[in-house]
Amino acid sequence: MTAVLRSSGDPEPLLGSTIHYPEFGSTRHRAETLVAHQARLGGLPSSRGAAGAELIADLADCALAGRGGAHFPVAAKWRRVRDAAEWRRERPVVVANGAESEPLSAKDAALLEMRPHLVLDGLVCAAEALGAADAVLWLHEGATTVARSVARAQAERAAGSLDEPAVRVEIGPHRYLSGESSSIVSALSGGPALPMFRRVPAAESGVQGRPTLVQNVESLARVALVARGEQPPPTVLVTVAVDGHRSVVEADEGADLLAIVASVTGPGPLSAVLLGGYGGRWASTAELAGTSFDQAGLRARGLSLGAGVLMALRAGRCGLVRAAEIARYLADSSARQCGPCLFGLADIAELIAELADCTARRRDTARLERFLQEVNGRGACHHPDGAVAMVTSALATFRDDVAAHLRGGCYA
Amino acid sequence: MPERLRIDPVACDGVGLCAHVAPDLVRVDSWGFPIIVSAPIDRRRARQANAAVTACPRRAVFVESVPDGS
Repeated sequence: MTAVLRSSGDPEPLLGSTIHYPEFGSTRHRAETLVAHQARLGGLPSSRGAAGAELIADLADCALAGRGGAHFPVAAKWRRVRDAAEWRRERPVVVANGAESEPLSAKDAALLEMRPHLVLDGLVCAAEALGAADAVLWLHEGATTVARSVARAQAERAAGSLDEPAVRVEIGPHRYLSGESSSIVSALSGGPALPMFRRVPAAESGVQGRPTLVQNVESLARVALVARGEQPPPTVLVTVAVDGHRSVVEADEGADLLAIVASVTGPGPLSAVLLGGYGGRWASTAELAGTSFDQAGLRARGLSLGAGVLMALRAGRCGLVRAAEIARYLADSSARQCGPCLFGLADIAELIAELADCTARRRDTARLERFLQEVNGRGACHHPDGAVAMVTSALATFRDDVAAHLRGGCYA
Repeated sequence: MPERLRIDPVACDGVGLCAHVAPDLVRVDSWGFPIIVSAPIDRRRARQANAAVTACPRRAVFVESVPDGS
């Protein structure tokens, strides 16, 4: 039943090159045209009916995990939606999430700018395999280069009169949490683009009560390769951020993590890396020495790639100051719906700011730790949990700085 | 299936009646919002759980079945 995925030859990379995003202004990349895309990979086989079931089995075989941050198995997610659609007798909605609300991440934008057809192919696969009534590509306001690239790609597909379900592009607000999957479900149901508390998961009852798949665009790009009988490339799209610049690197899974960072930052010494973005975890470069870049290994050490963000801190910069800035940003980004997030993150940001500017007293650290424990897991979405993880890991990673700051001085 | 008390954190306004009527199941955090203390509801605590559900003016408290393995 299951088609055997080709394993001979080099798998096609997703991007294959490093893309640099300067601090200000945007880059100008040339998107791959439909003709070039099809010449490189061949046409997209249909995923309707039995082919869809086969595709899901193939996705399970190659253990494709989602690239939006949670690393949830793609096949399991699709099966849940398919099964819910079956017993509810409703056609599902499939959404490609390209909103990338994590402020440091640029890999989804890079992918949509360079390879829009690969993402659209993946969304078409999902729509066909799940028998969707509606296929949506969700972007956020302000991603103008991405929107232009997608619009051009859609025009090419329309002109090529491909036999495929229509894809609708929806633009959400330019807000941190507008790319959160329950926010997208709410917005597409006619509500505000804010996280929702769900008693029933979106896979069962999402957009307007229909079973809904929300899948990150990088995951869908990989689906498009699997649908063609290719193995998905053993790579991860990573955004490496340093000094306000970001670069998107297609890194080999299992490569040395610090070497990936150094490929962007250059040889200068670094003191720590924030893994997973603003809602991620800090780890010192000493801890990370010899660490290979794979999610299973990192997870075993309590770390995660999240949406594939590595932010480097140069030696001599104070990690507590940086953590305080991020905590403030995250507190200000609260959707202001859940009390523990609204009030708790504000107090946490205040305390870590006092710690950063050396005005905190010893008893403040005990309060900070109590607040961190109380806020964890208390929101409708995982926004507060990410903020708690970032601050908690900063306190551990920069514990020598914490001690120095409490004495009124800063080493960095 | 065992049951547990849950709070819809979006609907919750931190009124605090739940912690008042179900002290064995709910405590309040530093900002006055409820934290569910002990997860499964035994027979003795079922009365408190129901009181918390009924007392909430925001209808933010509910009882949920705990699926196996979680």
